[in-house]
Amino acid sequence: MGFLTPLFLFGALAIALPIWLHRLQTQSSDRQSFSSAMLLETTEERVHLQKKLKYLVLLALRIALLLMIALAFAKPFLIRPPGSLTAGAAGTHLILVDTSVSMSRAGAFDQAIAVAGQAIDDVPPGALLQVLDVDDALHIGSSLSADKSDHRAAVSRLRVSALRLDFGSAMAAVDRLAESLPPPVTLHMISDFQGSAMPVRFADVVPSRVTRLIPHVVGTGAPFNWSVKFVRETAEGLDVGLFGFGDRERLADVELLLNGEVVEMRGLSETGPVTLRFTDLQYEQGDNRIQVRINTDDDLAADNQWFHVVENEPPASVPLITLNRGGLPVTYLSAALESDAGQSYHVEPLVIGEFDARVLGRYRWALLDDIGAIDEELDHALTAYLQNGGNLLAFSGIRAASSSILPVTGHRLSAATVDIGGSEFQSPGQIDTSHPVLAQTEGWHTVNVSRTIPIEVQAADQVLIRLENKQPFLIERRIGAGRLLLLLNGLDNRWNDLPLRPVFVSFIIETAGYLSGINEISKTYTTGASLPLSLVGNASGQVVDPDGNTVLSLADTTRAQQIKLDKPGFYEVYTSQDNMLVAANIDPRESDLTRISQELLDRWQDATARLDGIVAGQPGTVEPEPVELWHWLLFILAMVVIAESMLGNTYLAPLARANR
Amino acid sequence: MIGMLPSRSTARDLLHPEVLAGLKNLDLVARSVVEGFLIGLHRSPTFGFSQEFAEYRAYAEGDDPRFIDWNVYARTGKTYIKRFLGDTNSHLMILLDASASMGFGGPPVTKLRYGQFLAASLSFLAARQHDAVGCMIFDEEVRDYRAPSSRAGKLQGILHCIDSAEAAVGTRFDKPFDKFREQISRRGLVAVISDFYCDAEDLLAGVRPLAWHGQDVVLFQVLDQQELDPQFGNNVLLEDLETGKAIEVAPQFMREVYPKRIRAHIDSLAAAAASIGADHVLVNTCDSLDEALRNYLLFRQRRK
Repeated sequence: MGFLTPLFLFGALAIALPIWLHRLQTQSSDRQSFSSAMLLETTEERVHLQKKLKYLVLLALRIALLLMIALAFAKPFLIRPPGSLTAGAAGTHLILVDTSVSMSRAGAFDQAIAVAGQAIDDVPPGALLQVLDVDDALHIGSSLSADKSDHRAAVSRLRVSALRLDFGSAMAAVDRLAESLPPPVTLHMISDFQGSAMPVRFADVVPSRVTRLIPHVVGTGAPFNWSVKFVRETAEGLDVGLFGFGDRERLADVELLLNGEVVEMRGLSETGPVTLRFTDLQYEQGDNRIQVRINTDDDLAADNQWFHVVENEPPASVPLITLNRGGLPVTYLSAALESDAGQSYHVEPLVIGEFDARVLGRYRWALLDDIGAIDEELDHALTAYLQNGGNLLAFSGIRAASSSILPVTGHRLSAATVDIGGSEFQSPGQIDTSHPVLAQTEGWHTVNVSRTIPIEVQAADQVLIRLENKQPFLIERRIGAGRLLLLLNGLDNRWNDLPLRPVFVSFIIETAGYLSGINEISKTYTTGASLPLSLVGNASGQVVDPDGNTVLSLADTTRAQQIKLDKPGFYEVYTSQDNMLVAANIDPRESDLTRISQELLDRWQDATARLDGIVAGQPGTVEPEPVELWHWLLFILAMVVIAESMLGNTYLAPLARANR
Repeated sequence: MIGMLPSRSTARDLLHPEVLAGLKNLDLVARSVVEGFLIGLHRSPTFGFSQEFAEYRAYAEGDDPRFIDWNVYARTGKTYIKRFLGDTNSHLMILLDASASMGFGGPPVTKLRYGQFLAASLSFLAARQHDAVGCMIFDEEVRDYRAPSSRAGKLQGILHCIDSAEAAVGTRFDKPFDKFREQISRRGLVAVISDFYCDAEDLLAGVRPLAWHGQDVVLFQVLDQQELDPQFGNNVLLEDLETGKAIEVAPQFMREVYPKRIRAHIDSLAAAAASIGADHVLVNTCDSLDEALRNYLLFRQRRK
């Protein structure tokens, strides 16, 4: 027998009140003076005892009344053997097997398969069954049915993945599934119950539609594990972070492989956090494959390697569409990009009328020194380029000022260029510093502007900089999958001195990072992450996974926006513009094999059961059914109230008669 | 009120203890009671007691000159004393029990207060008949004593003595009565006013020497209605006023057993009084005082 809310048992202390009252009553017989006790005699013992006995019965009833109330609020329950369950109460049993990386520890998954098979066998006849497995998502292993053979087969097909499990998201998925299942839903959860899989909020692991949680813990025992936590590029070389816990005496070797060749091997003296530095690495041009491998016989082999990509690319070309290959804009923009310490890009001038616009598709972004200089054909080509995900930084030179409608954007000029007047200059007044391009730039107020091109701002425009006279100076517009940054002034020193100011360099470098997407591209991911194809190429491409298999089908190559990296290793991404390598690694949190505490597990189990007013049993066994008793307590309580009222009335009646 | 003769109905009302309880002055109580009682007697043909002329007797030295009939002296030139039927010149000694048990009772009055009314009324009545009146207040000891006297000023002292009695401690009849016996030398009437919560033998031990001494003894047993017919609805813890002893009694006992016991006690006292030639008068504090006075006069008449 147990109590769901045992704190209410403190209410039983209220029985002190009737005891005290009865003690007073037994002591407080009416005391009166009488002339003489000579003729009196103590009340006969029989009568006295009868009276006391009656009072004791009343006292017992009152105590019972209070105890019943306290017990009813404490919600007592009895454990009833499972055999007494009715067939209709069998409901649905979900066999949920953890297939995350940590389950690949020695013997854990085999044990999980055995436990799952036993759990299927123990499910009462007639109950519906479904096998599920979970890593970073919930997967249906078998359809809902009472046929146990299908479910046993489904269990045998389960395999450990390279993905991470989060109990919060797993329980949320189970909860959504349970919504459509016949209640009551019993969840048999077979897992190693890693502590690192617990979400921050405990409430996230408590499914509301699951009646009972029966945890089956597998893979117990003191773990010994080495894992790679990170590989970080430094100026000197590579820093490799490792962590080992468990048996300090068991050593390990670390190998560093560069493009498949072992270049260095180190020994690890003891467990704990270790950072190794590898220097003098000779990279090849392009993407280099870095692999860190730990040679050890620890419990979890899956996390004994780490993949990393080191880029060793020469500066990429960025086309500058211009009318004059030797003009000031070419000089200014080249100088600005070459001043970047990383120097990712160099300017490649493309003279209008001398190049095929189709080559723009090779570039992730492009420059245009005067948007008014392009002809209609190039206008269409640039629009298509932007529609397909290309990005463009355009300036509005003297030719734009003479146009009535700007190409590409379609902005209508409200008038000719506006002379601000005399020796007066305007400076940028309103700057949207939340924009990635402008967040790191300073010194815009030093820029002097003598003329502006007054455009009519359209709804699709986002004005990033306005002059002090509220005229837009820099706008951004999304066109299709691409972005256009349009500076409403030129780079020829006629109408402004921007190219001569330090802010110009930082503006161009930040714009390069923003439009090329280089700031958003990561080459190292954890398994389970999605790689957005738009970042690695503005058009769809082909992806080859670490096993050499093509990830995307022929149809997917044109439709897929992202791919899921579900295997550790190197992914090769081939696009129309570029080829690149992406590394995927096991989530380091899976390497921590520490189990959640038994108290937390009990609390999880209790919290799940409490939602339905019952408590599940211990893990690993077919649990007996708890039966609540408060209904019966209320019935008995009602009987006690009636008995107490009747007995109390018999005591009060003579007093009432005497008072009359 | 003293100067005016009250109407008969008003005078009779004054005999009731609840009316008398409102009067602070015991002298006034006694006068009211006796006047009312005597008015009642005039209506009764049974007893025939009054201040009626009986005979003339020649004045002798020592007689009170107030009783000389000056009309006879005017006609005959000799001095004669008027004698009346009630004029016997006897002694009346009133023994009032002021023990703690006498403090029980009421409303309207406690047994002691009722006893004080009775004692004062007897004193006044006796004084009116020119008897010498004395009193003794006792409990376990003699608390106050006034020797019998027929002098006019003595009555106020006796009434004050009676009025000042307060209920305290227990009761004994032997020791106070022995002392009383040592104080008196003449025969007379002795009225003992008490609740007599004692064994009949103990009472006899105190009263029998008085009887042998030639005193005519009348025992006024004053009891409250609650003692004669107690009413309790629940178990009750009764505490003896004299000993402090507490006894828990059931209402069944008080309804069924106790009345028989008090009746038997009263009967035993009456039998004991009769055995020594004394009278026993049971007085309920709820009753008017005329019954007690009537008993006294009958007793006095029989003794003459």
